[in-house]
Amino acid sequence: MGGGSWSASVPWLLPLSGVEFAVDGLGGLFMAVGGAVAVAAGVYGIGYARHGLDGRLVQAVAPLFVLAVLLVPAAGDVGTLLLLWELMALTSLLLVLAEHGRRAEVATAGRWYAVMTHLGFAAILTGLLVLASSAGDGSFAALRAEELPPGVAGLGFVLCLVGFGSKAGVLPLHAWLPRAHPEAPSHVSALMSAAMVNLGVYGIVRVGLDLLAGGPRWWWLAVLVLGAGSAVYGILQAAVRTDLKRLLGYSTTENMGLVLVGVGASGLYAAGGDRVLAALALTAALLHVFTHAAFKTLLFLAAGSVVQATGTRDLDALGGLRTAMPATTVAFGLGALAASALPPGPAFVSEWLLLQSLVHGPGTAPGLDVLASIVLPLAVAAVALTAGLAVATFVKAFGVGFLARPRTAEAAAARECPPTMLAGMGVAAAACVAPALAPTLVLPAVTGVAAGVLGAGPAVRGALTTELIGVQGAMSPLLLVAALAVAVAAVVGALRLLAARRPRQARLWDCGGGPMSPRMEYTATSFAEPLQRVFDDVLDPVQDVDVTHHRESRYLVSAVAYRRSVPDRIETGLYAPVLAATAAWGRAGRRLATGSVHRYLGYGFGTLCVLLVLLAVTW
Amino acid sequence: MTVHGIEMLNIAAGALLLTAVLVLWRREITMIVRIFALQGVALAALVAVLAWDEGSAELAVVAAGLLVLRGVVLPWLLRRALTGAAPGQRESRPALNVAASLLAAAALTLLALAVSAPLVALSPAPATRAIPIAIAVVLIGFLVLVTRRHAVSQLVGFLLMDNGITAAGFLSSAGIGLLVEVGVALDLLLVVLVLQVLTGRMRETFGDTDLDELRELHD
Amino acid sequence: MTALGVAGGLLQAVVIVGGAPLLLGLMRQVRARLDGRVGPGVLQPWRDLRKQLRKESITPRGTSEIFRVAPVLMVAMTVVVAVVVPFVTVDSPLPAVADLFVVVALLAHGTVITALAGLDTGTAFGGMGASREVTILALVEPTALVAIFALSVPVGSTGLPAIVGAGVADPDRMISPAGLLAAVALTLVVVAETGRLPVDNPATHLELTMVHEAMVLEYAGPRLALIELGAALRLAVYLGLVATLFVPWAIATSAGVGALALGVVAFAVKVGVLGAALAAAEVFLAKLRLFRVPELLAGSFLLALLAVTTAFVLG
Repeated sequence: MGGGSWSASVPWLLPLSGVEFAVDGLGGLFMAVGGAVAVAAGVYGIGYARHGLDGRLVQAVAPLFVLAVLLVPAAGDVGTLLLLWELMALTSLLLVLAEHGRRAEVATAGRWYAVMTHLGFAAILTGLLVLASSAGDGSFAALRAEELPPGVAGLGFVLCLVGFGSKAGVLPLHAWLPRAHPEAPSHVSALMSAAMVNLGVYGIVRVGLDLLAGGPRWWWLAVLVLGAGSAVYGILQAAVRTDLKRLLGYSTTENMGLVLVGVGASGLYAAGGDRVLAALALTAALLHVFTHAAFKTLLFLAAGSVVQATGTRDLDALGGLRTAMPATTVAFGLGALAASALPPGPAFVSEWLLLQSLVHGPGTAPGLDVLASIVLPLAVAAVALTAGLAVATFVKAFGVGFLARPRTAEAAAARECPPTMLAGMGVAAAACVAPALAPTLVLPAVTGVAAGVLGAGPAVRGALTTELIGVQGAMSPLLLVAALAVAVAAVVGALRLLAARRPRQARLWDCGGGPMSPRMEYTATSFAEPLQRVFDDVLDPVQDVDVTHHRESRYLVSAVAYRRSVPDRIETGLYAPVLAATAAWGRAGRRLATGSVHRYLGYGFGTLCVLLVLLAVTW
Repeated sequence: MTVHGIEMLNIAAGALLLTAVLVLWRREITMIVRIFALQGVALAALVAVLAWDEGSAELAVVAAGLLVLRGVVLPWLLRRALTGAAPGQRESRPALNVAASLLAAAALTLLALAVSAPLVALSPAPATRAIPIAIAVVLIGFLVLVTRRHAVSQLVGFLLMDNGITAAGFLSSAGIGLLVEVGVALDLLLVVLVLQVLTGRMRETFGDTDLDELRELHD
Repeated sequence: MTALGVAGGLLQAVVIVGGAPLLLGLMRQVRARLDGRVGPGVLQPWRDLRKQLRKESITPRGTSEIFRVAPVLMVAMTVVVAVVVPFVTVDSPLPAVADLFVVVALLAHGTVITALAGLDTGTAFGGMGASREVTILALVEPTALVAIFALSVPVGSTGLPAIVGAGVADPDRMISPAGLLAAVALTLVVVAETGRLPVDNPATHLELTMVHEAMVLEYAGPRLALIELGAALRLAVYLGLVATLFVPWAIATSAGVGALALGVVAFAVKVGVLGAALAAAEVFLAKLRLFRVPELLAGSFLLALLAVTTAFVLG
């Protein structure tokens, strides 16, 4: 995957530009990730469809969507990329809308998705056309060869960053993501969240690092800051969500943010002339794309099984699924371990590489000025806070959703999902476990791709131990697992030797108040309450306590109602005014359109006259 | 400058910054005044290190003066402003909560580092390298002045700013003359005395020195 | 994997597992004496463990495997850390695991597993303890990693053997503003992660103030022994980390018997002194309200960040 490239051209397929394909290492990596996700989601989809959960629409459109996702990284010129991008946007929109008959929120989510994805498309279109028109040719090879003027390149990059960033769910263009991903059928959510969003990162890397060959420092500083902001904001929102799939959607924003931190650091180092660290940071980012795809597929598929078994996505209504759905519980647990980036998990390897690339910056990168030396520790702090909050989020999702006792009758009546769905999860789980134990299965390919994009040497080597090249640092997940296994065996052995008596079952300590009911358990809301209070100023939650008094005396309380909602602050603060302005604009326009045919003809006549007068004056 | 001289200078500068942060962190006013006294000592130590390094008697006199004024006299005056009020006075509800103001202080320190980088680049001597810390102290002092409600802690914020400015002056290679320093010191003393009288009056009238109460005068 | 590293790793495992309960006993004894009590003696934690091991293990109804394996996993993870970190010698038996990020994440994983066990019981106490513990964990993480950043930038590596080796070569290096600030920040991290005052009170069983104890309330018998041993191990390992990073004296650089013995004794003395100092400081502290803890952690984060900037500024 690292070395060779392949290209093909189909001139007759599209007028003017033709269709051109060129696959290199970078495109191949994203194709491979997309393909692997598609396999897992496809196997899962068989079981999903057999239970009548999918309409005919999904069956028809899903393959087309997968094809688009696979072909976007293979596009070899601007026109082909845009064509496939639009195909991907339209098919995914149809898939999001698949369950619109069942839930009302689907339509809202679809509307958000349609508008934002097309605004993003417009930005990419403009950006790429600016670059292509300046270069004189739309093929990637020509763009690569051409030295564009800095102003044009900057404009093109910023537009592409906006467009591709909106697809990757980067702040503040993330609003569609946590709405649209949960509303789609779960295997489609997995495809979108694990395969489609990656293409946003692909676009930024392709345009910024490959076609424009790096660029000034401020581009990458912007990417890094956007990434760090998205990571922290995304996981903070996920930490206080109780909707399981929405939580996973926000976690996607978080992980794409982490990837962009890596991409930004890579560009920053490349701009400073340090190819070694640039390659390391890009390797970390691309590896994180891979690991995120693996665990997010697994998590969405497991969440889909939960939804199918219980009919709810609300964590506060779940609980105790481990007895009824052991396989799904193991799958979700594995995904949660990966997502919280704890060792030994796959995401720990990529986050470790990312931290290494940031830590070595101030010491070794020669061209870095004070600004970067301030940014790097802050980036480390942001990654650390993200990792900490991710731990809290996934302890909540797994512990409240799957452990403890069922909180509702639906959760108590859950049954394990059919074998095909489990098989789909199995594929994703294998993709999760393999790189966690032996990163050597994936790392050489990723390292080669990163080195190829930057024209540098590989950043990482080693089979058993992952060793950094050019800077000091080594880590071995396999040795860690082996050491843990030995330690567990030692502890269990010692316990067997020392503790002789048999265990006994007993009831839980209930403070002497009788058997405890599920209503007394901690819920997801209560679990996240301390975090919500700590980040009160950022989250700005809406809380509402209603106390109803007895009719006889106001000193006796008959009921207390507590409501809490945490609206996405960016959504309410940024989008609401824009939407209101658009609506006002629309209302102003309505006054012009009264429905009278004479009036419309009059508009046409008036415009014609004005144009003629203009012509006469300027001739 | 010798290796040990640099070490001493660095530790004094570090203490200057640490005490500024602690003023932001703590709530008890008496503790804040005590920390401020410590900062005065740190500042005097900083100047003393410079004096020892340059072998300048004038600077040594300034260091002694700073120790007396900022380590002893000003804290004593502040403590006097507190006596008579209810014991255990606290900065109970600052305008910006403590956790947020600590994070703001982190941001301000980084800002100080960024703005003073060109200054340091001009003459990268050990003394000039510590200028960002002095500027950070000035900014943190300003933050205290803006966000604290209690009159005495605001006064401490103002004095922090002055400590920072003094430190920056001595650290930059130009230095401040003895005369200027003495003048500034006298001004400062006057300001504190006037404010002390004012707080005394405030307390007699309102029974408290929480400045937010003063808004009612305007309304 | 060198002979020095392997010898050090084995020695450390024995010293820390054997000594951690004694450290806890020492700290309780110091507190007792300062409180004017006689105290139960340094050996009391070992006596407690022996008693718990002889009792029967009680499995509450409705709990799953997570509840049963959590103590074992937590202790195993801490033991791995105790073996790989170069406490006694400058070398590690597994240099590829002895990375500061790995060590900190592994210790955090131990906390996470206990929190899951707390949630698994399905009681209000378990959930409450887990929620609070995980919140503190999430907020500690930035401080810990930025402090690691400050420590590793001058060395150019996050590998513990490299950092400790540099410290042994030049012990005065840590006596600088950056080193001192990082030391204070890391000490606050240790206090928060091991549940000591003022973040958590290890001696309390009051509903409203418990953090760690609420989480493990359902454990009894040998499993409780493991939980308590695990907590003692965590304390010893964290204090050992602080001691090794900031006071890198008398750490064995060769595999001779004398050097190793000196290394073990120095390690025990350093951790003992740190523990006694912590216990003495705790006499004067009250537990913070849970929502004041973020202030403490924000302060420690600021100190860690200042450590980085001063290292950069003052060079």
